[in-house]
Formats: sequence, structure tokens, C-alpha cells
Amino acid sequence: MAIQGNTKMVSIVDDDDLMRSALQGLLKAVGLQALAFASAEEFLTSGQQHATACLIADIRMPGISGLELQAKLNAEHCRIPTIFITAHGDAKMRMQALRAGAVEFLAKPFDDVALIESVRAALES
Amino acid sequence: MAYLHSAKPVPGPAASVASRYGLALLSVAVAFGIARAFLHFHLPQPFTALALSAIAITFWYGGNKPGILAALLSLIVRGYFFESDLSVASRGLYDLVFLIFALLMTGVTRARDELEVRVAERTAELTQTNLDLQLEIADRKRAELELRESEAYLAEAQKLTHTASFALDMANRVIIHWSQEHFRLFGFDPKDGFPLYEDVQRRIHPDDLESMTETYQKAIKEKTDYKLDYRIVLPDGTMKHVLTIGHPVFNMSGDLARYVGTVMDVTERKRADEEREALRQAQADLAHANRVTTMGELTASLSHEVNQPIAAAVTDANTCLRWLMRDQPDLEEASQAASRMVKDATRAAEIISGIRLLFKKGTAQRELVDVNKVIREMVVLLHGEATRSSISIRTELAEELPQITGDRVQLQQVMMNLMMNSIDAMKDVDGTRELIIKSQPGEDEQLMISVSDTGLGLPAQQADRIFSAFFTTKPHGTGMGLRISRSIVESHGGRLWAADKSSRGATFHLTLPTKADAQK
Repeated sequence: MAIQGNTKMVSIVDDDDLMRSALQGLLKAVGLQALAFASAEEFLTSGQQHATACLIADIRMPGISGLELQAKLNAEHCRIPTIFITAHGDAKMRMQALRAGAVEFLAKPFDDVALIESVRAALES
Repeated sequence: MAYLHSAKPVPGPAASVASRYGLALLSVAVAFGIARAFLHFHLPQPFTALALSAIAITFWYGGNKPGILAALLSLIVRGYFFESDLSVASRGLYDLVFLIFALLMTGVTRARDELEVRVAERTAELTQTNLDLQLEIADRKRAELELRESEAYLAEAQKLTHTASFALDMANRVIIHWSQEHFRLFGFDPKDGFPLYEDVQRRIHPDDLESMTETYQKAIKEKTDYKLDYRIVLPDGTMKHVLTIGHPVFNMSGDLARYVGTVMDVTERKRADEEREALRQAQADLAHANRVTTMGELTASLSHEVNQPIAAAVTDANTCLRWLMRDQPDLEEASQAASRMVKDATRAAEIISGIRLLFKKGTAQRELVDVNKVIREMVVLLHGEATRSSISIRTELAEELPQITGDRVQLQQVMMNLMMNSIDAMKDVDGTRELIIKSQPGEDEQLMISVSDTGLGLPAQQADRIFSAFFTTKPHGTGMGLRISRSIVESHGGRLWAADKSSRGATFHLTLPTKADAQK
């Protein structure tokens, strides 16, 4: 990716390869480039968390889950505006995510307009 | 009476030379003694007659040379002691008589010897013939005994194996051999002789008669072997399944002369087959029930698995529209998004068809199965369930593993049961939660699959009980999963067992034969 160092970078963390490609494709269609990671561990060890302006993450993943990832980032004082996308999110999980600083909580299949608006808002904040 | 003196023990041919010549001396001496006695009492002088007797006896019993000696001795004795007053001519005449007599006796003894030889030869011949006859009689008796024994063994074997034998004369269309077992099998009395064709036909089950007759007539026409599978019904109502095998026998001119063959009572075998089939069906039903139950537990995660590619498809469809709706539509990007949609929809369809297959009910199907593919399919299906509990699944599958013969759905079920157990065992543990599935070639044309987890491990001292029916450690378990899995693996000719306790978690191994015909 030729956008390293760009503070307006979006990162995607999802264990599902199809969903990663779909999200990357959607962002590209609206002129945004994004890095994709198959797991929270991969993202954390990449060092890209500090350059990420907006994080799109799945909640349920093998190993470190989306919520745990958010907690870890917060602990590292690396508060990234985060959009969660999940297939089975309940109200409790949603509250927990939003309280920890999530900017949006979307259920699959999600509204693409809502996602893009959230991403743009996060990047401009 | 005087001769009796000479009647000493008869010297046989083997008598010694001394005794034979001694006989010559003795017989002439006795003749001389008797003649002297006659002379003493002034009786007619009988020496000549006595001497001739002595010569004859010596020839007969002593042989030719002692006989000639006796003749010479008689001549001398006669010359010295008797009628010394005779003229030379008379004496010569007497001598001539003695010599002629000796010559005659030579002929007589020769004739006797020849006769004796011939008698001995005849006797030897007769003895040999008698011996031969006795041997032959013994041989026949033995052969007869062996034949009877062999027949008894054969009859016993027929009885034990429920197999009868028969022979049919095809020229006259009559039975020429029906073994005892054949009579017993068809319920006829051997005392009544061979039954008529019509009577035999009446024993055949009406439903089988037509097809059986057709096959039989066709074989006769084509002069080939035949195999008839039919039922017979005895007068008491007993029904038997029999299998008849007939083989044609041809005469010198190549015409069909006979059919020889066997009739086997396969009633027991048929019953066992039916029972085995019922058992197989029951096992398949039970396996199906287990699959449906397990799938029921998986509903939430399965719907997630289906939802995932659908969500991706919706996103890709929206992306595609965005590229197309631009003022300057970007077809290149749009088609890329459309391609991703195809992949998304295909994934969803695969998952659904996988689920549908597991719900399907049916008897076991045997086909060539790629074990690695079975494992991958189940990893896809259980991915959601594992993820729900933050469990990662790792596979180490050997490349180019030989295929096996088996039931794909049932093998998937075994993998599903083992993986579900592992997932359940890891739900409540801290630390790494990893499910590892390995496949590798094993010994003796087997392949081995291992399923390991980092969960609670197997209950202590209960390693064997886990395979028993209704044994469970789960609050809502049926206790049938491992039991059914083991019976499925065993019906494929393989083995399923729990490995020795490792430091953490549990490991199950299963082997499957790659070549053997797994069907038992």
C-alpha cells in the first residue's frame, strides 16, 4: 500500500476473507484506501495501529476478539475511532462497544451508506 | 512182506550221497539175506526176483547211480553165491536181464522226476493264482469299505452344509441321481424312488416358478451353466430359500447328455442378510438422529456461517452499483466487484448444500472419498461455532493422501462429532483455545486422522467409558456422539480411540483403510 504515513488511513480487521475483500472494494469505490488484516494479532504486530485513523473490525474472531482489541488499544492510549460490524450483536455488546469509544455498531448485512458516512466522519474528526 | 524190510525212511532228493549208495548196498544185502534164508529151508531159490526188487527200490528211492550200483552188486552176488553151476550163456542172459531192468528203471525214474517237476510247477502256479485271488479279494473289500466311508463322509458333509447333489439325464429328462440331502431338502422319501418332475415343480414357490423355469430352459437351450435362486415350500408349509447350480455334461458327439449340480439351502444366510440389512438401517437412522441433533445445536453458528458470505455479497453488490452509477462508469472495477459477488454466493451455496447433506436421511453409500476434503468442509461448517468461543482451528493435512471407500456424510459426521466435542471442551478454559486436525498416511495401507484440543481433557479413569452409549459430561449431551462415531469408523474397517492423556486437552485418533473393501 502506497499510503503508509498517511494519517487518514483506514484499517480492516476481519477473519473472513470475503468480507475483507468486500470492505476494501467498497472503500475503494468511494476513493478510500484501506489495509486489511485477518486477525487482531496481525493488526497489533503490524505497527499500523498508530497510523490508523479509522478501524473497521469484526467482533467475533478466533483469538483476540474485536472488543478485546479495542480494550488493548485503549490500554496502549491508542484510541482509534472504531466501527464494529458483526453478525450477531446484541444490545449489551453494542452498549459495551459504544462505551469503550466505538463510533458505530453495524449488523451484517449492513447499510453501505451508513458505513461510509461513519468512516468519513471518523476520518474528519 | 519181505519188501517191508527195504521200506526204510524215504530218502528224498536231498538225501546224502552216502545214504543213497548205502541203500544200494543194504537192499542187495537184504535180498541176499532173504535168498540165503530160503536156501537154508530148501525153498525155491528166489534171489533173482529179490535182487530185481532191490534194484527197483534203489533206483526209485536212491537215484540212477545207486541203482546201477545195486544192479552190479546183484550180478556179482548172484555169480558168487547162487546157481554158480549155470552155463556162461545162461549167466549172460541173467546179466542181460539185470542190465535191461536197470535201463528200464532209469527211464522210469526219469519219467517220475519229470512228472514231479511238472506237478511242482503246477502246484506253484496254483498257489500263486490263489494268492493273487486272495489279494484281489482283499483289495476289493478295502475299496468297497473306502467307497462306503467316502459316501458316508460326503453324506455327512452334505447334511452339515445343507448342500444336496443331483444329476439329470437330459435325453430322457429323468433324474439319475438325487443325494439323500436332496430328498431331505425337498421333503421326499428316498424309499419312494426319484420323484417325478411335476412333483418337484409343485414344491417350488408359485412366485418363483416362472422365472426359474425360464432361466432353466434358457440354459438347456444354450447348453450353459445355470444358477437358480428360488424358494421351495414343503407340504408342512416350511419355506426354504435355495440356490441351485447346474453344470452341463456332454457326450462324445458333443450333445448335452447330463446336468450335474448342487442345491444349497441358503435360508439361514438369507435371514442373516436381512438382519444385517436391518441393523445397517438402524445404524443409519441412529446416525441420522445424531446428526440432526448436533445440527440443531449448531443452528446459531450455522446461520452465522451462511450470513457471512451473504453480507459480503450485499456489500459487493452495492460496490458494483457504485462503479456503474458513476458519471463515467468504471466497468473494470464493477466487474471485479461482480466476480467477488460470484465467490460470495458460491460460498453460501456450498455451506447450505453441506448442511443439507448432513440433514439428509438414507442408507450408507459407498463412494471414493477424499478425507482432506471432508475435513475442510467440516472446518468451514464449524468455523462459526469455534469462533463464537474464540477458538482457532488449525489443520495439518498431508498432501496426496490416498482416497478411501466410504460414506461421505457419515465420515463428515464423525469429524463433526469429534470437533464439536473439542469445541465444547474448550469453551470454559483460559489460555490458548486451539483445535488441531491432522491427516497423515499410516501403516498397513491405512490413513490416520487426529483431532486434538487444548480443553478440559478426558474425565480421569473414564477413558473407556466415553465410548459407551449414553455417557456424557455435557449438560445437554445425548451421550451418543462418540458411540456412533466409533460404530461408523468400525463399519469402514477402521478404528477410533482416545490417545493417552497428554499434558493438556484431549486427542482422538482414527484410522481408515485406504484399499480394503470396508464393507463387511
